[in-house]
Amino acid sequence: MAPYLFTAPAVILYVAFMLVPVGYAVWLSLRAYRIEGALLGRKTEVFVGLDNYVAVLTNPEFAAGFGRLAVYGVIAVPLTLGLALLFALVLDTPAARLKRFGRTAIFIPYAVPGVVAALLWGFMYLPSTSPFSYVTRALGLGTIPFLDGPGLFGSLANIAIWGGVGFNMIIIYTSLRSIPGEIYESARLDGAGEVQIALRIKVPLVVPALVLTGVFSLIGTLQLYSEPATLQPMTSAISNTWVPLMTIYRDAFGTDDLPQAAAASTVLAVGTVLVSVVILRIVNRKRMGVER
Amino acid sequence: MRMRPLVACAATVASLAVLSGCGAASADPEGPVTLEYWAWPAGSKTVVDEWNAANPDIQVKLSDAGGGDESSQKLLTASRAGNAPDLALVEYTTLPSLIVADVPLEITDYVGDVQDAFTEGTWAQTTFDGAVFGVPQDVGPMALVFREDRFEELGVPVPTTWEEFREAAAAVKEADPDSVITSLPPTEFGFFAGVATQAGGQWWSVNGEEWSVGIADEASLEVADYFEELATEGLIQTEPLLTPEYNAMVNAGTMLSWPSAVWAPGVIESVAPDTAGSWAMAPLPQWTPGDTAVAYQGGSALVVTKDSEHPEEAAKFATWLNASEEGNTLLLDEQSLYPASSLGQEMAESNDPPTLMPQQDDFYAVSADISAQTVPVTWGPNVNLAKSVFEDELGKAIRNGTPWRDAFVATQDAVVADMKETGFAVSDG
Repeated sequence: MAPYLFTAPAVILYVAFMLVPVGYAVWLSLRAYRIEGALLGRKTEVFVGLDNYVAVLTNPEFAAGFGRLAVYGVIAVPLTLGLALLFALVLDTPAARLKRFGRTAIFIPYAVPGVVAALLWGFMYLPSTSPFSYVTRALGLGTIPFLDGPGLFGSLANIAIWGGVGFNMIIIYTSLRSIPGEIYESARLDGAGEVQIALRIKVPLVVPALVLTGVFSLIGTLQLYSEPATLQPMTSAISNTWVPLMTIYRDAFGTDDLPQAAAASTVLAVGTVLVSVVILRIVNRKRMGVER
Repeated sequence: MRMRPLVACAATVASLAVLSGCGAASADPEGPVTLEYWAWPAGSKTVVDEWNAANPDIQVKLSDAGGGDESSQKLLTASRAGNAPDLALVEYTTLPSLIVADVPLEITDYVGDVQDAFTEGTWAQTTFDGAVFGVPQDVGPMALVFREDRFEELGVPVPTTWEEFREAAAAVKEADPDSVITSLPPTEFGFFAGVATQAGGQWWSVNGEEWSVGIADEASLEVADYFEELATEGLIQTEPLLTPEYNAMVNAGTMLSWPSAVWAPGVIESVAPDTAGSWAMAPLPQWTPGDTAVAYQGGSALVVTKDSEHPEEAAKFATWLNASEEGNTLLLDEQSLYPASSLGQEMAESNDPPTLMPQQDDFYAVSADISAQTVPVTWGPNVNLAKSVFEDELGKAIRNGTPWRDAFVATQDAVVADMKETGFAVSDG
């Protein structure tokens, strides 16, 4: 009996706040609000099978949202991980000064809530309030189109990079600190410099941490919502269906189509799990191959 | 502090004269009723305080759930969860979609006796198939709010037709390239619906037992062409309104007008209070010279929800606020709304003009003239979807330089498809 009692709190919480809501969402995704052919009849919930899934998967705007996510992800994920790795390596070199201060300074943006960060950057992007555009205008170069055309992707990625580097750096840095010092010692005895130690010893040894942060960043990318949603009132370039989660939000709360939103959420969740599993598989197979 | 009924009775039990009064009080053992009330206009707190002071038995608790769009989304979600407030302010545009979602309660029996305080057209905004679902609160007859001083300075006459508006826009651009006559972004769905109605379009209408959708009717497509030309010639902006960017232009006096409705002065004042005195209001330009008809943009009604346990008391508050002299005084003075009731509109004529344009003594006289000429608008059961698709499609058209009318057609198609899928009878045509 005791083992069940000990696991009960976790199991109950997991069932109540994970399995039940997920099950409800899946059930809801098979239903729809329909009215009988009157002018202003009342909506009732009916079973429609996979209709919502068909609608989601054939919606060109939903697919286009994933396309925009891909562009954003190609910019944001490598830069976040690259900068996080770079900062972690720099902080880990014996010559680095002000380590504690540097670590905190790089980590602080992560503590700023996404919406606040997006608002803050939004003001720095808008032509009339942007300090960057102020400088370029003074130099006669005109205003920087932060919120229009292709520049928008970079502007959004920048917010995520600014906020995400610190968190990823801490994970990689922690992993670096756990490498035994003897390895460095023997490398130095063999004549390796700091750069060589970083590239040949440290980076290969923190690959598991890089994979972990990579998968986290990818999941974060698929769940992109608050940055574009916060910037939306400032520009017409962000539509109501700009990324998949914005479409889901609109369907659920804007146009009273909760079942459709549930179907889209299920598709997004299943897709996220699939992508994560595939990536982990590939990475693990490669690493096993190297070890063999 | 209010005494409990029992204590009050005990204290006065010696006096036979008041015994009957105590008996009545103890027949209502639940004590004072508390009503939840969602509203967004500034000054709502004062309104509630006045009511609460005068009605100890019906206490109203105010929450601000955001502006029209936001508030109706939250109301729908709260209602689906079974805990909607007793009373909520709802824009006319979203009322049909809320009725279809079974959010408001039919209150015909509670409010039928105040119908005379409203014109037939206004009352029709909240009546569907003979059932009343709300008490009209304010209306937004469309009007042109403009910088009187800048128009004069640049020697540009105030336009009375849309053709003159184009000439005025060109004149402004030529005289002062840093200024622009206005900005009309895709988010101004209500504006485009209004001017299309003014041009003779009918975005939704009821045909016997069927809906018909006319977002892409000939009149509306011509409206699309007209504004597209203004935008491509650079005569108007299409940037979002009320952003820091826009507000900076309003404050700097380089955004010269806002074709919208009579509620606009309050909005402008909230972002640029220092510009008070430089603005004026005129009737909205017309498509045909000599015409006087305009549509409504915005405006809202107070509804009682299905979840309310005290619908009668809630309806009492709604009629007090919107159909009584006391309530209309508060609407005018505290909330700066243009009342929906004829009573309130009559009272408005002796009111001072909005603080944004203190020099315009005839503000409410002009408003009354416009209001008398408004054409009724029917809103469909999926205005939110229409608005969302319209914003996205028109935004795309502006960015890609494709015809604006295509955006109207795309919206029409999406709206009809959605209505058919939901099960409404929609006529083809």
